[in-house]
Amino acid sequence: MATAEGVDRHILVVGLNHRSAPIELRERLAVQQAQLPELLARVREEAGLQEAAVLSTCNRVEIYGRVQALDGAVDRLHRFLGGHGGIEPTSLSSRLYSYTEPESVRHLFAVASGLDSMVLGEAEILQQVKQAYEQAKACGATGKVLNALFQRALNAAKAVRTHTGIGRGSTSVGSVAVELAQKIFGGLNGRVVLLIGAGTMGEATLQRLADRGVRDVRIMNRSFERAARLAADHRASAVPIEQMPAQLLEADIVITSTAAPAYLVGRAAVVAAMHTRHQRPLCLIDLGVPRNVEPATAGLDNAYVFDIDDLEGLVQHSHQERQRALSASQAIIDQKVDRFLAWWQDEARMAGGGLPGAPRDARHFGSGARGA
Amino acid sequence: MLLLHTGCSLMSEIAFLVAFIFGILFLLQERQLKRKTLGRLFHRLPPLNALEQINFAAISFGFALLSIGLACGFIGEHVLLGRWWTGDPKEYLTVGLWMLYFGVWWLRRRATLRGRRVALLSVAGFSFALVTLLGASWLLPSWHRYF
Repeated sequence: MATAEGVDRHILVVGLNHRSAPIELRERLAVQQAQLPELLARVREEAGLQEAAVLSTCNRVEIYGRVQALDGAVDRLHRFLGGHGGIEPTSLSSRLYSYTEPESVRHLFAVASGLDSMVLGEAEILQQVKQAYEQAKACGATGKVLNALFQRALNAAKAVRTHTGIGRGSTSVGSVAVELAQKIFGGLNGRVVLLIGAGTMGEATLQRLADRGVRDVRIMNRSFERAARLAADHRASAVPIEQMPAQLLEADIVITSTAAPAYLVGRAAVVAAMHTRHQRPLCLIDLGVPRNVEPATAGLDNAYVFDIDDLEGLVQHSHQERQRALSASQAIIDQKVDRFLAWWQDEARMAGGGLPGAPRDARHFGSGARGA
Repeated sequence: MLLLHTGCSLMSEIAFLVAFIFGILFLLQERQLKRKTLGRLFHRLPPLNALEQINFAAISFGFALLSIGLACGFIGEHVLLGRWWTGDPKEYLTVGLWMLYFGVWWLRRRATLRGRRVALLSVAGFSFALVTLLGASWLLPSWHRYF
């Protein structure tokens, strides 16, 4: 925005994300927690930023800054990043994107809301943006403008997550399984889980259940040694495969993840178990291909069977729901961006006695991939 | 005595209504899970075990209140008319209702019945209760002219 003295004030962002650069490049530019204070001081000095903040996650590395004048600031940031990662600036430049206001503002708001993430609507990024802001603030690297920018970005993200379905539903097989179990059993505390087999997905699902409070885990495998080893990893107990009928009586959730050619859990076995366990609900998560649980079991009362197709269908469904929420989310963000820009104009007018600039100043710099 | 009789009967009706509602919610949620279609209903409804617990609590309450109400009715009748039984159709119906809910409550307690079937019986039970406690007075000649 131009002030009467002709001094510009701009909000810049320069960085790369999972769309613009491969992981080999991103990991070289990643910034560790411990490096932050020094890095923030250096970037302000070398790139000539009045205020700065750095966002570094597995999906992106971005530098946000406020400058008085734009000239050369972006190039200086490119060089700074090149130096930081030990990469030739010229080869790096094609992977970097840069925005100035209003795009830079919109970008941060969108990133914080999970709109720029690999998994649309993911929740972790909000925490990461919050941390990045708090750390920059603690180092004294931010000032009035970036403080307001980040605070409003976090608010916008919360609004988007509250008012749209962008973060709704589970987007991985493991978390869908947990969601289903919770809908059947309510709290998972004190529930008994039986894991049959040892695939990565089975273990991942097990881990998620453990995160939700499941403590009693039994592991069953064709090879007892394998079961014992797995049990040691997961603080579980190994049970021999002969105990299957007894285990079916005690388990609330059964996860099967084997490549066995025949059904491990047959309908008759479940009927018998349900009778003896007084129809206590049983949730069977069948991750095996071919299926480990006889499909006819699904029709039984109080027994709930989900095979890999069911689970992946639900994941797909979640993704689609989130996509549908995209335009509503963008509408909220647009509104919040406009409000921020209006505030900023007022600030500039009051502080510098300058004229407010055109709010739709859509300049952007940098060749190559655009992030958002 | 009469007040207790009417009061308890009415409250048992309300309890059965609650059981009915939660029975329906249970059936809806269960259907979502069985069909693997997790729509908005799935997300908004409480988990199955919560629905089941509330349903059973309502059945127990309703059954207890009905028992008291019924007993008070017979006692009051004895006090008023010197008889234990008038042959009033409503009496037959209510005893029938009582036996139905006794059955459901007992079988659920022993966990012979669970989940879906209990929910279905709650729905049926309430419909019958509606007829018995409210409708019968209008449809059949009875001491209970208003209720």
